[in-house]
Amino acid sequence: MNDFLLEIGKNPQARKMLGALGLPLPIPEPLTRDTGPYSDLALRDVNVAVVAAPGHTLGGEIARALVGAGANPFLADPESLGHVFREPSEAYGRPARALSSLGEKEKLGAVVFDASGISTIKDLRALYDALAPLVGRVKKSGRIVVLAREPGQEHPEVDAARAAIEGFVRSVSKEVGGKGATANLVRVAKGAEKRLAPVLRFFLSPRSAFVSGQPIVVNATAKELSEPPLVRPFEGKLVLVTGAARGIGASTAKAFARDGAHVLLVDRPDDAKELSQLARELGGTPVLVDVTADEASRTLIDAIKARSPEGRLDVIVHNAGITRDKTLARMKAEQWDQVLAVNLEAVVRLTRDLEPLLRENGRILGLSSVAGIAGNMGQTAYAATKAGVIGFVRAQSKRLADRGITVNAVAPGFIETRMTAAIPFAIREGARRLSALGQGGQPVDVAEALVFLASPGAQGVTGQVLRVCGGALVGA
Amino acid sequence: MAKEEKKSRRAVIVRGVRTPFVRAFGELTKLDSIALGGAAVKGLLAKVGIPYKEIDGIVWGGVILPSAAPNIAREIALDLQLGAEVEGMTVTRACASGLQAITLAAAAIERGEADVLIAGGSDSTSNAELKMPQKVVHTLAPLALGKPTPGDILGALAQLAPFTDIFPKTPKIAERTTGEVMGESAERMAKRNEITREAQDAFALASHKRAAKAIADGLFDDEIVPVLTPDRGEIRADGLVRADTSMEKLAKLRPVFAKDGTLTAGNSSALTDGASAVLLMSEEKAKSLGLTPLAAFSSWSYVGVDPSDQLLIGPAIAVPRALAKAGLELKDVDFVDLHEAFAAQVLSVTKAYASAAFARARLGRDTAVGEVDPEKLNVYGGSLALGHPFGATGARMVTTMSNLLARSGKRTAVLGICAAGGLGAAAVLERV
Repeated sequence: MNDFLLEIGKNPQARKMLGALGLPLPIPEPLTRDTGPYSDLALRDVNVAVVAAPGHTLGGEIARALVGAGANPFLADPESLGHVFREPSEAYGRPARALSSLGEKEKLGAVVFDASGISTIKDLRALYDALAPLVGRVKKSGRIVVLAREPGQEHPEVDAARAAIEGFVRSVSKEVGGKGATANLVRVAKGAEKRLAPVLRFFLSPRSAFVSGQPIVVNATAKELSEPPLVRPFEGKLVLVTGAARGIGASTAKAFARDGAHVLLVDRPDDAKELSQLARELGGTPVLVDVTADEASRTLIDAIKARSPEGRLDVIVHNAGITRDKTLARMKAEQWDQVLAVNLEAVVRLTRDLEPLLRENGRILGLSSVAGIAGNMGQTAYAATKAGVIGFVRAQSKRLADRGITVNAVAPGFIETRMTAAIPFAIREGARRLSALGQGGQPVDVAEALVFLASPGAQGVTGQVLRVCGGALVGA
Repeated sequence: MAKEEKKSRRAVIVRGVRTPFVRAFGELTKLDSIALGGAAVKGLLAKVGIPYKEIDGIVWGGVILPSAAPNIAREIALDLQLGAEVEGMTVTRACASGLQAITLAAAAIERGEADVLIAGGSDSTSNAELKMPQKVVHTLAPLALGKPTPGDILGALAQLAPFTDIFPKTPKIAERTTGEVMGESAERMAKRNEITREAQDAFALASHKRAAKAIADGLFDDEIVPVLTPDRGEIRADGLVRADTSMEKLAKLRPVFAKDGTLTAGNSSALTDGASAVLLMSEEKAKSLGLTPLAAFSSWSYVGVDPSDQLLIGPAIAVPRALAKAGLELKDVDFVDLHEAFAAQVLSVTKAYASAAFARARLGRDTAVGEVDPEKLNVYGGSLALGHPFGATGARMVTTMSNLLARSGKRTAVLGICAAGGLGAAAVLERV
């Protein structure tokens, strides 16, 4: 589980020495993370450069997001953006200054590029003009976020130009990954502008440490939610996490509890000891049941009713999952069945039985996998279930949009867990290094993505798959 | 119902005094916080001349509390032999401690818990205690408390080796959660709110000029009581006010909290020793004792803000809240008295009052709280000129404003104080 190169990377002396030796080892940069509770000032004192292509439309939302979160905005072109910053800057004492006033040598915590005005091939030049001089100034664990409009329904050239932005951002993520920095694309649908700020917060904050090279859409699909709370977002909420005894599930339960939720921690009776201990630590409720068992739904509904008098639930996280890796020819039918039963059938069945209990603006979250997107040797059954989860959340998101419920999946890449520690060394090394950030993620990285998607601020994100893969080479 | 009850029993301020305020490690060095408080209370009682048996208790505020006797209030009562029945409690709310003590006393009187209370605060930075590192305390305590053998002593010494971090640290005014020294926080506020060096120096200059004029005009004569020191004789006058300062002199001072900063010793308040005490009682009691009240509280408000954001912006929220509770707008009040921790901090706060954007985002109101008329603001100067003995400042402000209201015949004054930990305090005083 120990990443030798990452450990070396943490020691500046050793880093220097290896550099001097000229070894062809890409030493990964240790990532800055924020594992504390959600705070008002998620970007406190971070210097953020704001650049916009002509015809930009999202300046006001960017200003609100940055200044409200405590960032110091620096504008590449104060003439075109200054006016949108005036109100929030004055209110929070965060004056928007000209980027030129920041010394050339001063590093940037983040760059936000508003590319919403881009609609022709010629316009794409703005990407080059804006970011070429800035990528080098982004500091370690820094952030680049490009904001754009969605392709679709318009002129083919418009779609070409807007689609081009994605290839650009994915490639930038590879260029900055060596210093632990990330680059992501946020597409804002018409009418969803007001939902952008909390999403932008997440992608600029250390909570998205292992998300890079990813596009996400902020849409107006799910019914609106007024004034999402930014601090203790799960206060008074009931969150159910399956597979909560260890690994990603345990991390996720901890993160929800940290931000105010009462967590129902679900796992198999075999894991009673770990589960009860964690539940006690988090002040949550352990529920011992195998998600594939006939009585699973009944048991969970009883647990929900025991906790909530009206029998209502706020968040379901379908985290329980298993692997039975074998090439197709060698796989036994029982193995196939087991994987399908836990990873997909249980997800569908539990959602069917528990979804009626979900409150308005509730959340359903599935765990997909990069293997489900790209396919993987020896994982036919596993990848099938993980791709299945994607189809499932897309369909459910539309069905539940009227109740304000969002349905999404997180697709982890290589995460340092007991499961991945069992992978043979050479394959494990390959999986770690073949990504923009050159290292594996931590369970908490997946937990933070799940917490973000479940938070009230993510009302604009539904029917999507967020990859937490460090910009893995594989997968579309 | 509750309102009528309140009307029927109101706490009034009868009198207030303070010791001279002098620079720390100056003339008052030999007097600790208890002795300074005692001097103020003694002076107060000498001026009013009420029988000790009328006094129910003392409520005192302090920031650097003497660790051997942190309940300063009770120590004062005992030292002055006010009578064993005169009880005492000591509160701390950083630089708002003095105001806190007074509003607690007012609340106790209005609730009927007491009829007559003395409230105020004192601080002696000169007597701040050096703290031994916990490492030393934890190692040596077993030796001090038990019967150590030579082996135990050697063992303890071995634990302390290699003898780093065993010396007491110089105390500094740093935020516990952020580690930031208060001046650094104020420096960041100056940058963020774009308060220039010139504006800060001009504000500091006005503070000194106004304080100097008030002293020259004898306006503090009624409220300053002399203090007898063991080594310097009787101290009668404030020590920090500079009548002769000028923009040129202030401009020469170097920034002290950041290399390219704007805060200097001239536009920051100095570490100060001093005490201030106020006599409060129920209105009926004042009448029955034949005393003329000066003022009463219409309202007060205490708030907290994120100390890692703008540490000293609290009064920007507390003052509008207190005004709203009193049913007043800023333009209605006759005097605005803001504690001057730093010129940059006062100017950041008044800038927030003038901002509609701030009001919308932070106060939930559509319009700005209002521009503060410079003629109404800190009319006799403030902490920049007079100094800032942490616990005493609130009581000093209540004293001066109560006297001013009584003397001028005007109606209302609002007080605002910023404090460590991101606290803000405010109170509205009305003439009685």
